[in-house]
Amino acid sequence: MSILERRLIRETSFGLTSKLWRISWTLVLLLCALAGVGYAALYSAGGGSPEPYASRHILRFGFGLVLMLSIALVDIRFIARLSWPAYAGAVTLLVLVLRMGHTGKGAQRWIELAGMQWQPSELMKIALVMALASWFHKASWERMGNPLFLIPPALAVALPVALILKEPNLGTAVITATVGAAVFLAAGVRWWKVGLATAGTGLVMPLAYNHLHDYQRARITTFLNPESDPLGAGYNIIQSKIALGSGGMWGKGYLQGTQAHLNFLPEKQTDFIFTMLAEEFGFVGGLALLGLLALIVLSAMSIALRCRHQYGRLLALGIAMNFFLYVFVNVAMVMGAIPVGGVPLPLVSHGGSAMIMVMASFGLLMSVHVHRDVEFSDGRDEV
Amino acid sequence: MSDWPDTPSPLTPARRFGAPRAASVPRMETVRLTAPGAGRNSALDRSQGRLLFSAGCFALLFLALALKLADATIIAPKLPKKLPADRVHVPPPPPAGQSASQEPLLHSRRAMITDRNGDILAISLPTAAVYANPHELIDAADAAHKLKGVLPELDEAVVAQRLSSEKQFVYLARQITPRQEMQINALGIPGISFETTERRRYPFGRVAAQVLGGVDVDGHGVAGVELYFEQRLRDDAAPLRLSIDVHVQAVVREELSAAMETFGAIGACGIVMDVRTGEVIALTSLPDYDANLFGQTVEDDRFNRCIKGDYEPGSTFKLQTASMALDNGVVNLWNGFDASAPIHIGRFTINDFEGKHRFLYVPEILAFSSNIGAAKMAQATGGTLQRAWMEKMGMLKRLPVELPEARTPMAPAAANWKEIATLTIGFGHGIAVTPLHVVAGTAAIANGGVYMRPTVLAGDSGVPREGTRVMQQSTSDIMRRLMRLVVTDGYGKAAEVPGYFVGGKTGTAEKISHKGYNRNARVSAFMSVFPMNAPRYAVYMMLDEPHATKATFGYATAGWVSAPAAGKVIARIGPMLGLLPETDNVPAINAQLAQPLQPGRPAGAPAGARQPPPAPVPPPVKPAPPVAAVPRPSMPAATPPAAPAAPRDLRRDADAAGAKLAVR
Repeated sequence: MSILERRLIRETSFGLTSKLWRISWTLVLLLCALAGVGYAALYSAGGGSPEPYASRHILRFGFGLVLMLSIALVDIRFIARLSWPAYAGAVTLLVLVLRMGHTGKGAQRWIELAGMQWQPSELMKIALVMALASWFHKASWERMGNPLFLIPPALAVALPVALILKEPNLGTAVITATVGAAVFLAAGVRWWKVGLATAGTGLVMPLAYNHLHDYQRARITTFLNPESDPLGAGYNIIQSKIALGSGGMWGKGYLQGTQAHLNFLPEKQTDFIFTMLAEEFGFVGGLALLGLLALIVLSAMSIALRCRHQYGRLLALGIAMNFFLYVFVNVAMVMGAIPVGGVPLPLVSHGGSAMIMVMASFGLLMSVHVHRDVEFSDGRDEV
Repeated sequence: MSDWPDTPSPLTPARRFGAPRAASVPRMETVRLTAPGAGRNSALDRSQGRLLFSAGCFALLFLALALKLADATIIAPKLPKKLPADRVHVPPPPPAGQSASQEPLLHSRRAMITDRNGDILAISLPTAAVYANPHELIDAADAAHKLKGVLPELDEAVVAQRLSSEKQFVYLARQITPRQEMQINALGIPGISFETTERRRYPFGRVAAQVLGGVDVDGHGVAGVELYFEQRLRDDAAPLRLSIDVHVQAVVREELSAAMETFGAIGACGIVMDVRTGEVIALTSLPDYDANLFGQTVEDDRFNRCIKGDYEPGSTFKLQTASMALDNGVVNLWNGFDASAPIHIGRFTINDFEGKHRFLYVPEILAFSSNIGAAKMAQATGGTLQRAWMEKMGMLKRLPVELPEARTPMAPAAANWKEIATLTIGFGHGIAVTPLHVVAGTAAIANGGVYMRPTVLAGDSGVPREGTRVMQQSTSDIMRRLMRLVVTDGYGKAAEVPGYFVGGKTGTAEKISHKGYNRNARVSAFMSVFPMNAPRYAVYMMLDEPHATKATFGYATAGWVSAPAAGKVIARIGPMLGLLPETDNVPAINAQLAQPLQPGRPAGAPAGARQPPPAPVPPPVKPAPPVAAVPRPSMPAATPPAAPAAPRDLRRDADAAGAKLAVR
């Protein structure tokens, strides 16, 4: 690091109080509201009791909140320097999980750490966004037009996607690739290249179908026609649709959802928590929750827009995208609109490691916001 | 590291903080417009457009979600076809003698099989086989080409060769659809004919495959009810209605698979039985197979553990021992046995798993699953009575269930029913029965004392099935409380489901390898009945060779692996079977089922030396003889003197005397 850069960092760093003042407290409030919805939902899922889900949920959220605010105070330039090490670490974990991870539901996805089960692929998505943002941070518009410049980041996306596919976890692989693609798009890849990539993906899809596992194919055929297997793969979706339909406009009332409470709805505390809420609070309740989630995503986007350096923008966009995909995939899945499984609704579903990862990623987002105006070398200054 | 509180620079936002908003505009544009800075700004400007584009996409997709939600909740809500309460309504069986010609849709030669609610489990669909007489053909190559157009899976060259052969009859394709048959007919090739055949389809595939069995290529039943009812299915076109509820079956199968995967078991078995009728509501054995592909299955997948596997029942048999001892008046609820020291008999030692090493009351023997206590209870009852009990509980014979695979239990012959056998069978070892034996026997204990022959056929609604009374109603009443106690206070806690008053008994038996018992290969089962205040269904969940996980703290015993699975099944099938969780009379029912671990002797009961601390005790159900004084006439001669082995009234009393129990 040059002396000049060192001096720049010092000059543009600022005090703790002003940092705290710069945190987007609106977003913190929105996240608290979402976790509150989660508490209410898990209280209901626990049969009208804080045990076994709701109390642990709020405890974890408290921990996540502290983690988020701590990360928010870390200088974004320091975080930027950690980008590639974080990427390397996440890839190492992915390789480790393939070698020695815990096998669950036919796939090796989990790794045991600090008494919790972690999916390295969750960490990978954030680390990938950091790495890509760091790469494109230096990029001028002219360099973005150079295809050679795009090859290293494309490989940086391909490597983890391939590793996650090997677990095998098709859903997360697609999500990871989508998050990566979003960063490419925002960094300013030319539109014709975006179009070409989209067309290419569309062409590969049918070929990929032949390499899917049986359970993944079953998921797709069931998606196309849930009634084809009403007691097996289609059961969850059929029960979820019935629960949504029986909720109607205003819902059956809190703690009154019979589909969920009589156990017709499976996994109501994790994947299908949105359904349970919509059964109890109806269309209006579901819409309100969607509105809250949309507000969170859009505030993340506004943070991206207000940031004055490319690294922060791309990082914020990637984090917003990651959060959005959780929400979109989960909600669309429980309504039977897309064929996936095993994606929780962030900060609402029961589950520890996913919540910690989401809160950590929001900590990075907050750091972007706190340090939105800092002088941030793009690397060429050193020359 | 980034914290520099008072850096004296006009550029720091800290300085600017508090200044008018306009003064804190981003500085890079105004302050450092160097060449690289300009390039960066152009990138930032462009990324601004891209970011706005992304935000717009997010908003649109959220709107799409909202529209889909409106569709699913208010515009086109999907409503359940049948309410849970309606689902348990059993449709009237089709009128007897209904012939195939009256069936508007189906003219099959083999009757279909349905579950108890009429959902089709097996059905024969018409298909055709194409054959040809090559002598009548004009142009074999042309015919082959035309056929290939309708049946793309054909190999044109092979077909042409077959059509040119000297035979008078060649098969070209089997099991073609009616549509293909019509298309081939329309080709108008002379010499091509059809043979009408049928194809057996099982719409639920693996669900209930072990019960249904399967058919061979000619459509003959080769296993399961397809084999057992071969004649019936051919002679009578009326659907064969099984007692299985396919929804319950699917739930049992799903929870069983989940438990099997979690604990890395090599196999599993789950049974749900209506305890009042003996009807099997669900019976599933894993691993299983797709009934549509019976011919391609392997032997291991076809093995039905529920009826073909003989396992030592382990502690689930302590329910039998306790019922037997209570019903024969050998013990009272307030009696007990000394379980402070292992029993040595022959070269064997009978010990407790995590024993309490003290005197145990009868309820404690079940709740803490004491082998020593159960063995002594069996010993006090005696081998003759025990064998008679096992006989009437159906434990010594092949079950007359309508499944050809049902297997004969392995039990000592009458001549070999020695003392050691009496002791070990008391806690479920030294005898091997199928899981269905255990379920049927436990159903009799729970339902008021009537043994119902297990069946997979649905009974006619309103016609009660005949059973055999095997014990007094009062014994069954006590046993219901004891089974409940195992779940409230014993090893079965994980099976509890609020509102269903689950009762049961764990059973973990080590498997026998060629060198005696294998400590690391066990069969862990949980035998439960719910609701205990008015028993309706027995649920049995067994895992074959489960492995401990971190979540079970290294235990692979039934209380840790099978009991939770049973609880999950009960929570899900209860509403399906029309039993809603009881929320109103919980305290009353709890009081009715309450059973102290160490019951006091009720006033007027045969005296012991001292009265234990008073406890709320249900009234004695029968005037029990002072057991300690009455030698059972049926006791085999080998039994030791009655006095030390007899049940004890008091802990202290027993501590002193019971330790002397000498079996050797």
